Amino acid sequence: MALEEFKCSTSLTLGVELELQLVNLTDYDLTPSANDLLKLLERKTFPGDVKPEMTESMIEVSTDVHAEFNTLREQLHKIQATLLDAGDRLNVGICGGGTHPFQQWSEQRIYPKSRFHDLSTLYGYLAKQFTVFGQHVHIGCSNANEALYLLHALNRYIPHFIALSASSPFYQGVDTLFDSARLNSVFAFPLSGRAPFVLDWAEFEDYFSKMEGTGVVKSMKDFYWDIRPKPEFGTIELRVCDTPLTVERAASLAAYLQAICRFLLDQPTALTEDQHLVYNHNRFQACRFGLDGVMVLPSTMQHISIREDILSTLRAISPHARALNSLHALDEIENIASSTGNHATYLRNQYKTQGSSQALVDASIMQFRGRGNV
Amino acid sequence: MLAWLFGEMLYRWATIPRITSYGLVGFAFAHNQTGLLTLTDRSTVTLLATYAFALILFELGYRVNLKWLKLNRWVGVTAIAESALTFIAVYTVASLFGIDTVSSLLLASICISTSPAAVLRVANDLNSRGVVTERILHLTAINCMIALIIFKIIVGYWILASDGNLYKAAWHSLISVTASSCLGFVFGIVVTALLNIFKSNDRNTTIAFATTLFALISITDAISISPLFSALAFGLTARHRRIFLTQAQRNFGALGDLLTIFLFTYVAASLDGAQIAAGLVVALAIIAARLIAKCFAITALARVSGTTFRKGLLTGVAMMPLSVFAILLLEQTRHLELSQLNHVATISAIVLLLEIIAPLATQMALKKSGESNQEGRQ
Repeated sequence: MALEEFKCSTSLTLGVELELQLVNLTDYDLTPSANDLLKLLERKTFPGDVKPEMTESMIEVSTDVHAEFNTLREQLHKIQATLLDAGDRLNVGICGGGTHPFQQWSEQRIYPKSRFHDLSTLYGYLAKQFTVFGQHVHIGCSNANEALYLLHALNRYIPHFIALSASSPFYQGVDTLFDSARLNSVFAFPLSGRAPFVLDWAEFEDYFSKMEGTGVVKSMKDFYWDIRPKPEFGTIELRVCDTPLTVERAASLAAYLQAICRFLLDQPTALTEDQHLVYNHNRFQACRFGLDGVMVLPSTMQHISIREDILSTLRAISPHARALNSLHALDEIENIASSTGNHATYLRNQYKTQGSSQALVDASIMQFRGRGNV
Repeated sequence: MLAWLFGEMLYRWATIPRITSYGLVGFAFAHNQTGLLTLTDRSTVTLLATYAFALILFELGYRVNLKWLKLNRWVGVTAIAESALTFIAVYTVASLFGIDTVSSLLLASICISTSPAAVLRVANDLNSRGVVTERILHLTAINCMIALIIFKIIVGYWILASDGNLYKAAWHSLISVTASSCLGFVFGIVVTALLNIFKSNDRNTTIAFATTLFALISITDAISISPLFSALAFGLTARHRRIFLTQAQRNFGALGDLLTIFLFTYVAASLDGAQIAAGLVVALAIIAARLIAKCFAITALARVSGTTFRKGLLTGVAMMPLSVFAILLLEQTRHLELSQLNHVATISAIVLLLEIIAPLATQMALKKSGESNQEGRQ
């Protein structure tokens, strides 16, 4: 099956997908309640889309396509309210966070859907270990080559999104010392990492046919790249973000991406393969140290903290944010980078003051409800 | 020890719930059967059994989420509906079989309850989590409270009618329940406050609860009030005061495991085989009526309370166990010389039948609901 034709959509529109945790309210461990939740949600119209994920304690929600940050944010709040209502009826807690702090991957159950079953058979324990929770942001592109340009131009900003969204410091009951331990689960998959450096869609289609010819790949879904094109939507999809603890943060991250894309389209940069020499290093620094990580700027090879790079990027893109009506979102990004820190920092502080992993999950549940300031 | 051995063997060989095996061994070796097990010091044995049950009730209370009952009132409505329907059904069947009014009323009130010991044990052994599991636990907690209150009211009324002592009647009914709950609540506040100050780890928290429960049971036994309500209230308070217990502390670990063997064996050991044969037909009729009543009420209200009819039915089936609670309730009234409870045959038959088949029913229902997960943590 050849790669689908790239469906051209309106440039710079945005959409968000969030993978959320379903939690037992007695012991705060993950609970396999996805099916029950979905059955209950089916009874009314859901303000967006909701579907199961790899294991039964995960659920994925997605918004419609939006032109602006404000309408996206509004829909995310509606989705949040609907989910909380259903969760309340079933005695199931719902929260964000890139990983569950103490779940045991061996206890997770694969959701009974044929695709997940096939993946579980192929990937063995990696499938259950993939009980991690991420945010994916889609940005609309007016043509396929624009998509490929943005995909590669955004690689330099990947550390920003990892550091800003990082919310998975704990895994299987231990502080991993990473701000985002979640991405280590993603990187374990053989088809993860960076898309091949190709700027022409025809060449990309060639590449896809070759991969298909090897029998390893059947569709775009089999690639677990950090950014990947989504031809059937006419978008690129940023996949490195951990699910934040609040929908506010999720909306702000999407707006940040949208503004950067507008900036990149307005001031196109020349891209070369060499610029990706530092990609893996930068990505590691962001996962491990978050905002305090030190990245290498590909164009100048200057070493700069991720925090500083975010702040200078914010200055550069603010006229674009103004045009897109999302200055408010960028204020939150600035707040994170300059004072409050990311949700990984919040979770570590909570653990220090409360002393138990369960209290952490309880705090995350409260944050998702919007009861708390983080 | 034999009970433990049989329990493990039958579980591994035929996945029969361990508690069923404990019951079978207890019955087989009982004083009234083979006579190999003699109940020498009845009061000590009863105290120990009550303590074992108190640990279970504490855990049940701990797993109840009062906030959920407020957010989804249909769960509470379901509990009341199934309790009411069960009471009416059992009373009707018992009366039809010629059992006298007071005995029928007492029998009906006992039958309202689901034995928390069995459902909690089976659910924990299966590592069961989900909508059906949550419903079973909450409905059990509520129907036990209703059963206890109604039982106490009937006993109180009977005392009033038979010897006119108002004080004794009131004490044995509602005052006792209220006093018991308050005691449990107070203990809960004090112990959780201490735990919050000392920021204990998981194991120390469990030890604190286990020792306090023993003190609680001893006090309630000394002043003749219900230990059961106090244990439940204690567990509820601990949960809502945000003391966290992990899965590792389910069943109170090794202590709970040991006492459970004792509890289920003890319950079955107090039964008399000859009596059971006499009461078998009535027992079967009552068990059937109880099962139908519970399944009907819970299934009918399933969809409106947020789940499916299928899961409602499975919840009803899972709520079959009864035995331990019944025996302990009766034990408490033994000293009142309730001659009205001479239908020991019926009760004994019900208890033995349900001790064998009910845990199997619970296990089957939980497995069919897809909520059991035995691959996980051991």
